[in-house]
Amino acid sequence: MLTDERRLGVLVALGGGVVLLLWYLAPWAVPHRLFGGEGVLLSPFGHHLPQGTLPPGYRDGWLLWAFYPSLAWLALTLVLAWTPKASRKLYPMGALGLGLFLLTYLLFQASVAQVMAGAERPILRRYSLGLGSYATLAFSLYLLLLARLFSPGGLAFLVRRRGVVVPLFSLLLASLLGGVIVAVMKRAPGEAQSLREAWMLKLDLITYTYQLLYSPLVNPSGFLQSLLLATPLIFTGLAVALGFRGGLFNIGAPGQLILGAIAAMLVGVYLPGPRWLVLPLAILAAALAGGLWGALPGWLKARFGAHEVINTIMLNYIAASLFLFLISANEYKFFGRTLYLPFKYPGYEARSYEIRPEARIPHWTELVAPGGELSFALPLALLLGLGGYFLTRKSLGHRVLMGLLAGTGGYLVGGLLPGPTVSFGPDLTSVRLNGAFLLALLALLFFHFYVFRTVGGYELRAMGLAPKAAEYGGVLSGRKVVLIMFLAGALAGLAATHYVLGGGVDEYRLKQSLPYSVGFDGIAVALMGQNTPLGVGLAAWLFGILLTGGLQVNLQLGISRELVAVLQALIVLFIAAGGFLPRYFTDPLRAAEVELREEAKKREEAKEAP
Amino acid sequence: MNLDTAFWIALFFSTLRQTTPLLLTALGGMFSERSGVVNIALEGIILFGALTAAVVVERVEHLLGPGPHPWLPWLGVLSAMLVGGLVAWVHAVVSIKYRADQIISATAINLLALGAPSLVLTYFYGNATNSKEVANRLPLWGPEGFALSPLVYLAFLLVPVAWWVLFKTPLGLRLRAVGEHPEAADTLGINVYRMRYLGVVLSGILAGLAGAYLAIGFLNQFVRGMSAGMGFISLAAMIFGKWHPLGILFSTLLFGFASALAIQLQGTEILPAVLVQAFPYVVTVLVLAGFMGKSRPPAAVGKPYEK
Repeated sequence: MLTDERRLGVLVALGGGVVLLLWYLAPWAVPHRLFGGEGVLLSPFGHHLPQGTLPPGYRDGWLLWAFYPSLAWLALTLVLAWTPKASRKLYPMGALGLGLFLLTYLLFQASVAQVMAGAERPILRRYSLGLGSYATLAFSLYLLLLARLFSPGGLAFLVRRRGVVVPLFSLLLASLLGGVIVAVMKRAPGEAQSLREAWMLKLDLITYTYQLLYSPLVNPSGFLQSLLLATPLIFTGLAVALGFRGGLFNIGAPGQLILGAIAAMLVGVYLPGPRWLVLPLAILAAALAGGLWGALPGWLKARFGAHEVINTIMLNYIAASLFLFLISANEYKFFGRTLYLPFKYPGYEARSYEIRPEARIPHWTELVAPGGELSFALPLALLLGLGGYFLTRKSLGHRVLMGLLAGTGGYLVGGLLPGPTVSFGPDLTSVRLNGAFLLALLALLFFHFYVFRTVGGYELRAMGLAPKAAEYGGVLSGRKVVLIMFLAGALAGLAATHYVLGGGVDEYRLKQSLPYSVGFDGIAVALMGQNTPLGVGLAAWLFGILLTGGLQVNLQLGISRELVAVLQALIVLFIAAGGFLPRYFTDPLRAAEVELREEAKKREEAKEAP
Repeated sequence: MNLDTAFWIALFFSTLRQTTPLLLTALGGMFSERSGVVNIALEGIILFGALTAAVVVERVEHLLGPGPHPWLPWLGVLSAMLVGGLVAWVHAVVSIKYRADQIISATAINLLALGAPSLVLTYFYGNATNSKEVANRLPLWGPEGFALSPLVYLAFLLVPVAWWVLFKTPLGLRLRAVGEHPEAADTLGINVYRMRYLGVVLSGILAGLAGAYLAIGFLNQFVRGMSAGMGFISLAAMIFGKWHPLGILFSTLLFGFASALAIQLQGTEILPAVLVQAFPYVVTVLVLAGFMGKSRPPAAVGKPYEK
């Protein structure tokens, strides 16, 4: 058994070895990359050119300025890790590493800017840092983590945050495995002259895949697109999370979404009336229909004890049949008699009539800048609403009321304020992000209030943790099951407003291409978000980013975008297994043991110190 | 509307063909649940099995040239069983060793089965929805006009075999003991973990077999989503069949009949095809609601065991 200090040294040495290997094998920067992923790979030991040559005028002398200091830093870190009280010295070393990464980044950008300045047309395209540079960043973060972990109370600190550690670690593991899948599935562009170059090409391919996957973070239209794709995932993620909180597994979100879509379509197409009446009614109809479709398996469970997992899945298939029945044809034969339906729009494609303009959820440009003039209504409403809620020091009811009042006031005042004129480019206005996103944020707030701030939510959580105890405590478990499934179904049904009323796909209609399988993605979102509203929102956004980036991966590298689906599935699997982390991360009792042990150690140290 | 003898004969054989994958999978599910592990990953495992069988047979054909190779479909069947067992083993490791929630772990595998085939198909065939057709399908055994795939015979033969293994051998006794009362079984020196691994892997092998039947027995290629809920339906059939081989035989025949009826009614003027396709699913819901009260699952099913 190693002592703590020795173990720290070994861990740093292992990490340092990996970094050295990556520095040698992986490219540090890619100043020029073509469409199929072929690039000019730059490392401190020379150029590697799968195809083409380095553009004229580009100088790579800067790389050595980044490389030798990094090497010195690594050597110093490896030595310091074996000295006494190493954990304290690792903090500055980690900070230094972050500085070195920043230096590399700046030097690279400067060298790129130098070339770009002299040319009329951009010569360098799709330039980015490579895995070698990212290794420096990763190792710095690793050093900071180790430093925190090996200082007093470090383990307990990490264990207490297992709600974050387990999903992140699972994401990391899934990404590693995803990298292996990419390396196996996809031939790297270019001919390798040596084993090292073959490695370099593969490692660059993996890096580029992930750069594309996360590219929506740095590109405005991709960013909006990621919010667009996150919108339905927030709803379905909450639908699954609510079930989990109540001890139920709701795999029925796809079916609930379909029923919500059908109801929204029926109201949106066939109910005449003014906007202020029809739009809320259409949204409510979606929630109600999804809720009832969800309540059905809940009732079957409460009344007959039929397991909700299989029933919700069966109801998914039944909903899909019903959906096709409504919009794929207008004429059906029943026992020789003909039945006419009014729902399908004439033509070859299976789709409904268009939603009337009054029932449409506005596009994001209409909300942010109605009539081309930036509006402060929404931001001010949000700001004052949150302020009213958090600054009021009274009972919950007062705080909610204050929040609502302040929000409404902010909306009115902000609407009256004049704003500057803005215009968005076509790449931004073409993103079909719509008001359903705000609805999703409201759903997050609703989840937070209902589950964590009301008696009903308390009962729900009690049922999820200990159903028998909850029942003895006075919770009517049968009714509660139906209610939970109703609310979960309503949340999933609301996801349909994004597609049908908000035109989230490409038209304001119910179409056969309705991507109802996002209901399944909700499982991954709920698990990744640990069934908390903040977590669900962030996880949905993460998957929105990956799905948007997956499109780029498909377009530029020809790797099926199902790679993202595989990553999601792996994340679910790894989170289920507690990220393969030690038991004290997944088991609350053992976590408490860790904390107690650390506390005892601290007390002993305090006794010895004076 | 004239239903003649030909209709009923076609319906009968269609029922046998539809029942086969359900029966294989449900028997597998029975072994798994009797050992105490819920395996709703069977749906995904069927898909993995089907994908493996279709791709292996097509690739080997590609190597050897077209010509008839009578042994080739059997290679496909074997590899499908192998992959099925392997995927089930992953579920076993995560849910037995790492004590994960068995339903979540299995759902992850089902999600994987939605995405992974596309990657494999893109790699080999450049499209994400189906594999190339294979020339060497499983043969048909039996008299002219009444011939059935060998896996149909195998599935029905497995019913008495499964009954004998489960209720007449020491192995079956241990398997059931582990699912009913793992602590007691452990005290008697039965290796709980090993028995559970056995049950889960066995269920994966059988579901892989069902997948192979779909891909190279029923059709001659892999098509995305071709299992269409069969794994879930067979779990419902297993519950309805009260975790007993004979009960499972009758309940899968019921579901097979519902699917066969749906197929036979398509194109007739009796009911619209899109609604008829929902038959088996509606039957599942009704059956689970109507008959669940009387059956009793293995006592320790779904609970991770901790020494």
